[in-house]
Amino acid sequence: MLLIGIGAGSIYALMAIAMVLVWRSTRVINFAQAGMALLSTYIGFELVQRTGNFWIALPLAMILGALFSALVEILLIRTLIKHSTTGPVAGIVPIIATLGLLGFIRATIGFIWGNQDIQIQPPLSKVGFKIGEDTIALSPMNLLVLLTVIGMVLVLGFIFQKTSLGLSLRASAYAPEIAQLAGIRVGAIRTIGWAIAGAAGAAAGLLQTVNGTGVVSPDSLEFSLLLTFGFIAAVIGGLESLPGAVLGAVVLGLVLAVVQIYISGTLVFIVAFALLLLVLLIRPQGFIGAKAGRRA
Amino acid sequence: MLKKHPLFGFILFGVALFLLSNRVDELRVFQGATVAIYVIAIASIILLTGYSGQVSLGHGALLAIGGYAAALSRNYWGAPVWLTFCIAVLAAAFGGYLLGLAAARLSGPYLAGTTLALAIGLPSIANQFSILGGEQGLLYDIGLPPASLGADFTQYKWYFWISALAALATIYWLRNVMKSRYGRSWKAVRSNDVAAELAGINVGRNKVLAFTVSAGVAGLAGALLAMTISTVSPGAFPLALSFSLATGAVLSGVTTLGGVMIGAVTLVAIPEIVDTVVHRFESSEAVANNLPGLLVSTLLILTVLFVPNGPVEQMRARHEKRAKR
Amino acid sequence: MIRTNRRKLALTSAVLAVAAMTASSLPAQAASNPGVTSTSIKLGITVPMTGIASPGYNKIPGAMKAYFDYVNANGGVNGRKITLVIKDDQYIPTTAVAKANELILKDKVFALVGTLGTASTKAISASTQLAKRGIPSLFVNTGFSGFADKKAYPTTFSILPSYQMEAKIMGKFLKDKYAGKKIALIYQDDDFGRDALAGFKQAGVTFTTAIPYASGSQSLPATGAGWISKLKAAGTEVTVLFGVSSASTAALANAYAAGYKTQWVLGSVGGDATTIAASNKAYVPLLFGAKGFSFAPAPSDASDEYVKLFQSIYASAQPSQTFDNNVVAGMSNAFLAVQAIKAAGSNLTRAGLIKTIETKGASLPNPFLTPLGYSATSHVGATGYWIGTYDQTGALKPDGGKYTVYTTDSGKGPVVESSYKRPAMPAKGLPN
Repeated sequence: MLLIGIGAGSIYALMAIAMVLVWRSTRVINFAQAGMALLSTYIGFELVQRTGNFWIALPLAMILGALFSALVEILLIRTLIKHSTTGPVAGIVPIIATLGLLGFIRATIGFIWGNQDIQIQPPLSKVGFKIGEDTIALSPMNLLVLLTVIGMVLVLGFIFQKTSLGLSLRASAYAPEIAQLAGIRVGAIRTIGWAIAGAAGAAAGLLQTVNGTGVVSPDSLEFSLLLTFGFIAAVIGGLESLPGAVLGAVVLGLVLAVVQIYISGTLVFIVAFALLLLVLLIRPQGFIGAKAGRRA
Repeated sequence: MLKKHPLFGFILFGVALFLLSNRVDELRVFQGATVAIYVIAIASIILLTGYSGQVSLGHGALLAIGGYAAALSRNYWGAPVWLTFCIAVLAAAFGGYLLGLAAARLSGPYLAGTTLALAIGLPSIANQFSILGGEQGLLYDIGLPPASLGADFTQYKWYFWISALAALATIYWLRNVMKSRYGRSWKAVRSNDVAAELAGINVGRNKVLAFTVSAGVAGLAGALLAMTISTVSPGAFPLALSFSLATGAVLSGVTTLGGVMIGAVTLVAIPEIVDTVVHRFESSEAVANNLPGLLVSTLLILTVLFVPNGPVEQMRARHEKRAKR
Repeated sequence: MIRTNRRKLALTSAVLAVAAMTASSLPAQAASNPGVTSTSIKLGITVPMTGIASPGYNKIPGAMKAYFDYVNANGGVNGRKITLVIKDDQYIPTTAVAKANELILKDKVFALVGTLGTASTKAISASTQLAKRGIPSLFVNTGFSGFADKKAYPTTFSILPSYQMEAKIMGKFLKDKYAGKKIALIYQDDDFGRDALAGFKQAGVTFTTAIPYASGSQSLPATGAGWISKLKAAGTEVTVLFGVSSASTAALANAYAAGYKTQWVLGSVGGDATTIAASNKAYVPLLFGAKGFSFAPAPSDASDEYVKLFQSIYASAQPSQTFDNNVVAGMSNAFLAVQAIKAAGSNLTRAGLIKTIETKGASLPNPFLTPLGYSATSHVGATGYWIGTYDQTGALKPDGGKYTVYTTDSGKGPVVESSYKRPAMPAKGLPN
């Protein structure tokens, strides 16, 4: 059961990572993240259809996801920042904009591919590994997801902490004016931040699909869940840190698994909400939250 | 004269609607009821976000509380319809009060995300307790129109009358609230909460009050919504509803009540227009299902980018600029 | 000055809005017989075409349309061609109500046919006031026993045997075949599942574990896994699945992943092997040896005259789709609707159609293998099931090589083996 929780949690983790990335590099919560992941999943589907090989499709989808994400940043976010107002709407404008984008992406997917389900066959077996006589709840597919998450956290953490690119990313988000004075091309850095998030989101979408039922459609329940749970995971873990996002996702996955198996499947949403509320009230920075700095 | 006696304007408008309802067919009347309900719901968001500066993506949950409260009180206590509406308002206001207590500590994206989680989580509680009817929900039947209105008076026209009356009353009341000292204190907190605190306004209590009032209004909308479809169920209050309402608020201009009809009408008109267009041109299903979403989303993005305060406010600002010259 | 302008704008926008609504509408004039002209009949259906419960069921409208087109191409019904307006309700009751409203108020259909889903059908009846408007709701795609009650639903006609009937027949089968074994039940937690529980109780079956699931939760990642751990813990030997197709898929998928083996017994609603196979071909072998229930001829039964006809019609109408029991269900439904409309005569009215089905419905030709129960006092459709076993390809084959149909009622009546002989199909399957 532990493994089930970790398995589910690792998918949320991928999404949470994407959201934290966007937050850390641009101070925007991207509600359209799941939508972009969905689009990347569809692109991945097309790639699998054409190449017949999941292992080629996955990296390609990630690259295309990154490109699309960068495009969104250039077109949408820069306009947003240019036209940004002060006053009451300043808070909700980016949120509403990304919500609009989410709806736009979903509708476009329906336009191009239709609202019917599409199917992606999993590349690895989903039957659990055997330890002696028992089959445990960990399958090669689960393992792949776990490894991807761990790999991503390591790579991204390294970039953020140890490279000058990472430093530029963090500086541009935290204090864009000062970063600009220091010679950092804030706009380009932001685009890169979004591109990385796009790649992470693409991986999340594809892996979540094949790890689950293999079926996806524009109105997929799974993607609404991904959006919500990814966000909750990111917040619980503290929006400032990537390991925090992963930890938050694992905690969420475990809690939800317990609820689903031992209590009732229908309570998951309200439990997630309660958990979110609890964390925000007790420790607004999240588990591994950083300094109480800019919160807005 | 209209300036001095706005009540007169509202009454005039009400009479116009009444006359109109006798002339149009059932479909329009039903849509009219839907518009009225959206007006109320969007107004509640304008109050919370525009005037009090707090973001809520989860108003669908508050509508749900109102709807369920109305249905439960009717089914289990046999309460008369007007009483069920009052109960809906009170129940939702209480929910809003609780939410406001939590929300006062949160801001920006944290608040948005929390309300988002609530919007998804709350309706699913209905599945857990059979008294709430589960996935298929509860019946909410307000009964037939009174016999005094004649045998030809359709049920949908009755819904329209009730909703329109409720909408007119609510907007009138909200206007007065916004003008009162509460409204002014909300605006003060929204502009600069530190200064407001210094001026003696209790920011925390202020925010909670805004949430409570907004929720009560939303609860009324929820009860009316349940009335028009004669049921409450989790499926009646999906996440998409909360998003639609937020969209409608932005399209109307979230900082002022004046344009509230714009958003409400747009939300109902776009699917309608698309449907007509699709029928005319015999397009594929993919187009039919997705064009409304595409249009609304595009409209939303454009509005929020270029006219973030809404068309009404934009014109006012332009007027002000001109007046200054 | 500014304030007046703002108010003026607000008022103007309001007036404009109202004018916009009026401009595109007609004055209120009730049509006396909507949906029928001398050359056409318009029928409407709400069904999940997309969303959680759509796999499999979204083939039904296409199948119905295929049969209607076949009839239209051969002269129609009493000279009228049938059009079917299809609306997607995503298995959500409130969406179903909105779509039904569109069908009635905008498309002005003559009757609803094949409405799918217990909750959706209930909601539609209540909200759109079918009874008050006298709109027939023919052959609803749900087995909830309440719809057969003429007093509660005067214009609605069942077609499927009720879930109570199915559970009673299944219960007798379980007691006869698996006496003494540990039996578990997975069921949908709403009227659909509760109807079944009543039937099982009537049959005297006790389950070692009964697992309800809320509609929609079957697709959450850990739900299916949770079912399998509970089943394992109880040492279950026989598992009854009484849910929608996506729930059956979730159960089988997780059993597969966990390497869990059991004797599956699938209810008719969730027993659609094609849908399960569409999710992952690897699950189909799990069905091998599972028990299933149906009351129509098996889609694989090429010796049945109805199946042969339907297969050829469907193959030319929808060559890319597989012919499965959803298709048979849809086309059978359409077949019966056409027969009823024909019997109602050239002077076709809503009230007339309802009366026709009540008086003549039970004797109309149809593909089903059980007698229909329509009468002036009851709107009960089919009343029984035959039991079969799935083979390696996922096709359900009747036990013993022939259709042994058991019939019962939704009350306390016993389960008996039926001696019903289905009347021959009219020439070419057309309303002649």
